Amino acid sequence: MSEREKTYVEDVNRSIYDIRNEEKDVYRIQKGLTPAIVEEISAKKKDPAWMANFRLQSLQIYNEMEVPDWGPSIEGLNMEDIVTYVKPNTHMSAKWSEVPEDIKDTFEKLGIPQAERKSLAGVGAQYDSELVYHNVREEVAAQGVVYTDMESALNGEYADMVRKHFMKLVTPRDHKFAALHGAVWSGGSFVYVPPGVSVTIPLQSYFRLNAPGAGQFEHTLIIVDEGAYLHFIEGCSAPKYNVANLHAGCVELFVGKNAKLRYSTIENWSKNMYNLNTKRALVEEGGTIEWVSGSFGSHVSYLYPMSVLNGKGARAEFTGITFAGAGQNLDTGTKVVHNAPETTSYINTKSISKDGGISTFRSSVVVKNSAAKSKSAVSCQSLMLDDKSRSDTIPAMDIRTQDADIGHEAKIGRISDEAVFYLMSRGISEEDARAMIVSGFADNVSKELPLEYAVEMNNLIRLEMKGSIG
Amino acid sequence: MEKEYNMTINRLPSKTWNWLRMNETQLEKIEIPAAGEAKVTLPEKITTAENEGSKPWNADFAGIASGIGEDMDGLLARAGVKAKHYEVPADVTEVQPLLLDYAYVQNSLRAGAVAVKAGKNSEITVIEDFASDREASGQAAVSTRLYLEEGAKIRLIQVQRLGSDFTFMNDIGALCEEKASLEVIQLILGGKNTYLGCKTTLQGRESSMNADTAYIVDGEGRLDMNYVALHEGKKTQSNMQAGGVLRDHAFKLYRGTIDFKWGAKGAVGNEKEDVLLLSNDVVNQTIPLILCAEEDVEGNHGATIGKLDDELVFYLESRGMNREQIYEMMAMAKVDAVCRKIPDASTQAKVQKFLGRAVEEEEA
Repeated sequence: MSEREKTYVEDVNRSIYDIRNEEKDVYRIQKGLTPAIVEEISAKKKDPAWMANFRLQSLQIYNEMEVPDWGPSIEGLNMEDIVTYVKPNTHMSAKWSEVPEDIKDTFEKLGIPQAERKSLAGVGAQYDSELVYHNVREEVAAQGVVYTDMESALNGEYADMVRKHFMKLVTPRDHKFAALHGAVWSGGSFVYVPPGVSVTIPLQSYFRLNAPGAGQFEHTLIIVDEGAYLHFIEGCSAPKYNVANLHAGCVELFVGKNAKLRYSTIENWSKNMYNLNTKRALVEEGGTIEWVSGSFGSHVSYLYPMSVLNGKGARAEFTGITFAGAGQNLDTGTKVVHNAPETTSYINTKSISKDGGISTFRSSVVVKNSAAKSKSAVSCQSLMLDDKSRSDTIPAMDIRTQDADIGHEAKIGRISDEAVFYLMSRGISEEDARAMIVSGFADNVSKELPLEYAVEMNNLIRLEMKGSIG
Repeated sequence: MEKEYNMTINRLPSKTWNWLRMNETQLEKIEIPAAGEAKVTLPEKITTAENEGSKPWNADFAGIASGIGEDMDGLLARAGVKAKHYEVPADVTEVQPLLLDYAYVQNSLRAGAVAVKAGKNSEITVIEDFASDREASGQAAVSTRLYLEEGAKIRLIQVQRLGSDFTFMNDIGALCEEKASLEVIQLILGGKNTYLGCKTTLQGRESSMNADTAYIVDGEGRLDMNYVALHEGKKTQSNMQAGGVLRDHAFKLYRGTIDFKWGAKGAVGNEKEDVLLLSNDVVNQTIPLILCAEEDVEGNHGATIGKLDDELVFYLESRGMNREQIYEMMAMAKVDAVCRKIPDASTQAKVQKFLGRAVEEEEA
C-alpha cells in the first residue's frame, strides 16, 4: 500500500518582510512637522487650493490636541524624528515592467503581482509615500468601477466627489493622529462602485514602507453606491529598523443603500512601527459593512475600525484577530454606533498574547435613542500562551433605547492541557499541537478570508508559534 | 473651614476613550457632611472599639483599597469621621447579624465609616440598612471596610431605601486572606443619585468573593457603580452579578472589573449583568473589564441588556399577561431573587414593604 501523501503548508519566510532596499535617488522631506514642511508636501503633490488650506488647518488642530491618555504608551514616537514624506524615484505605472527593479522585486517577493494575476480585480501598490503601481482589470473598469490613486482622483474627473467626502467621516478633530493625517497624507486609493454593480473578485491595495524613520499616511476613500458590492483587501508590511516608523493612515468607507462592502486587512507591519490608523464606515439603509481584520505586526497599535449605522436595517460585522508577541503592545477592537432603527451589529474577536506581548481588546457599542429594534452581539475571546504576557478586555456599551437587544460575552484563558495531551497522544509534537490549537482558535478570521490570504495568516501564526514551548 | 469638596470617584482600573465618559465620575462642590453613626444592634460575641487615631481608619484598614477610591477617604477626613470598629474573635461563628441602621431625616448631611475585622475562621453577617422617608432629600456617605483573616467569612448585606431626592455614596473595601470568603448582597431601591463602589482584594490563596446586586432606578435617578475583584492569590475566585431595571429617565453606569495579577494561578473570575430597560428615555452604560497578567486563569463576563427573551414573553403572553405586566413581573423577580438571599426576616420585610409601596404607587 502506498504511503498517504500529506499536504504541507510551507512556513512563511520572515525574511521576505524584512527585505530592505537601499534608498537611491529618493526625495526625503526634512524630519519633523512644521507649516513649511506641510506646504512643501502640498506643493510636491500639486494640491488644489482647498486641500493646501485643509492641510494647514489640520496641522493647527494637531498642535492643539493632546496625545491619548488611555492606550499604550507612544513615548517612543517623536515627531521631530519622523520624515513625513518619502517619494521613490519613479512615477505611478499600470505596468509592473515600468516599476523600478528593486521595488518590483520586493512586491514580487510579497506575492502581489502573482495574486493580481490569479485572484484580484485590481491592485494598487504603494511604496513609502507614493503609489508605484495601479491597475484595474478592463472588464471591471468597463462596469464603471473607478479604482485609482487618491492624487489622480483629487485632480481629475472625480475631484468634486473626493472633496465632498474627504475627511468628512473621520475629521481632523477626531483625534491627534487624524489631524496629523489631514496635514501630511499622501498616497492611497479611491474606489467608486456605481449603483447595482457587483465586483465579484476583490480589489487590493498593498502598502509597503521601506524608508527607516519615515511615516506612511495613505488615504483610502471608497464609495459603494446603491445596491453595489465590493470586497477590498488591504495589506501592509515593512522591514524592521531600530528607529521608530509611523503609520497614520485613514480609511473612509461610504456604503450606500442596500450596498455591501467587505474590507479585509492583514496587517504585518514591522515591530518598530507605531500603527495609529483610523478606519470608519458610514452605512445607509439596508447596507452592510463587513470588516475582517488580522493584526500581527507593529510595536504599538491603536486600531478600532468604526461602523456608523445610519440607515434603517443597516448592518455591521466585525471579525478580528490580534496576535501580540515579544515587544508588541496591540490595542485593537472596534466601535459601532447604531443611529437608525432595526440596525444590527455582530462583533467576533480573538486575541492571542505570547512572549511578553500585550493585547487589549477595546470596543464600544452605542445604541442611540433613534435605533429602536436594534440588535448587537459582541463576543471576544483571549488566549494567554504564557505568564509573561498580558491580555485585557475593555468593552463598553451605551444603550439609550428600550427596544434593543444587546448581548455581550468575553472569555479569557489558556490552551487546554487536555487538548494538547490528546493531540500529542495522536503522534503530533507539542509545538505542532499548540500551533494547531491556536490556528483553530483563529479560525473565525481565516475562514472569512480568500484562500491565499487565509494560508498566509495561518503561516504567520505558525511562524509566531515557533519556539513557543517551555 | 472648607465647606465643599470636588471628588473624582469610581475610577475605571484601566481607562478607555474619554468621549464615553465612563473612566471616572467627577462630583463637584460636594458639601462637607457631619459625622453620623448608625443605630447598632450588637451581637453578643462581637467586640467594638473606637478608632483612637486622627485619621478615619486605623492601621489595619487604612491600606485596604475601596471601590469609590481615595477621595472618599478625603471626604471622611474633612467630615471628621473616625471609623467605628467591630471585631469577631477567631473561631467564633456569630449567628446573630450585626445590624447597622442608618435612618436619615429630611435634609440630612451625614458621613460614617465602619470597619469590621473577622478573626481567623470566624463568621459574621453584617446588615446595613440605609433608609429615609420616601420623599426625603439629603446627602449621606458611608464607607465600609472589611478585613477577613484566614478562613473567615463575612456576609455583608446592604439595603438602600432612600428618598427620591437623596444623594448617597456607598463605598466598600475588603481584604481577604487565605481561604477567606466575602459575600456581598445589595438591594438598591431608592435615592436620586447613588454612587456605589466595591473593591475586594483577594490576597490569600483560595480566597473568594461573591457580589449580588439588584437595583431599581427610576424618575431622574442616577446609579453609578464601580466593582473590582483584584485577584492576587492563587486559586482565588470572584463572582459578580448585577441585575436591575431602569425606568423613566434613569441613568445607570455599571463598571465591573476582574483583575488577574501575575501569580494568581488557578484563579477564576465571573461577571454578569442583566438589565431591563422600561423606557425610551433611560441611559444604560455598562463596561465589564477583564485585565489579565497571568496565563493560568479563567475569566468570563457577559451582559444582556434591553429586552426579555422572545420565547419567554410569548409563553407568558399565551398565559394571558400583557407585555407591560410581563416586564414589571420580571423586574420585580430580579429584586426578589436577591431579597430572598437576605438571612434576616425583619430586613426582608422592610424591603417587601418598600417594594409593595412602589408597586402600589405605580399602579395608582
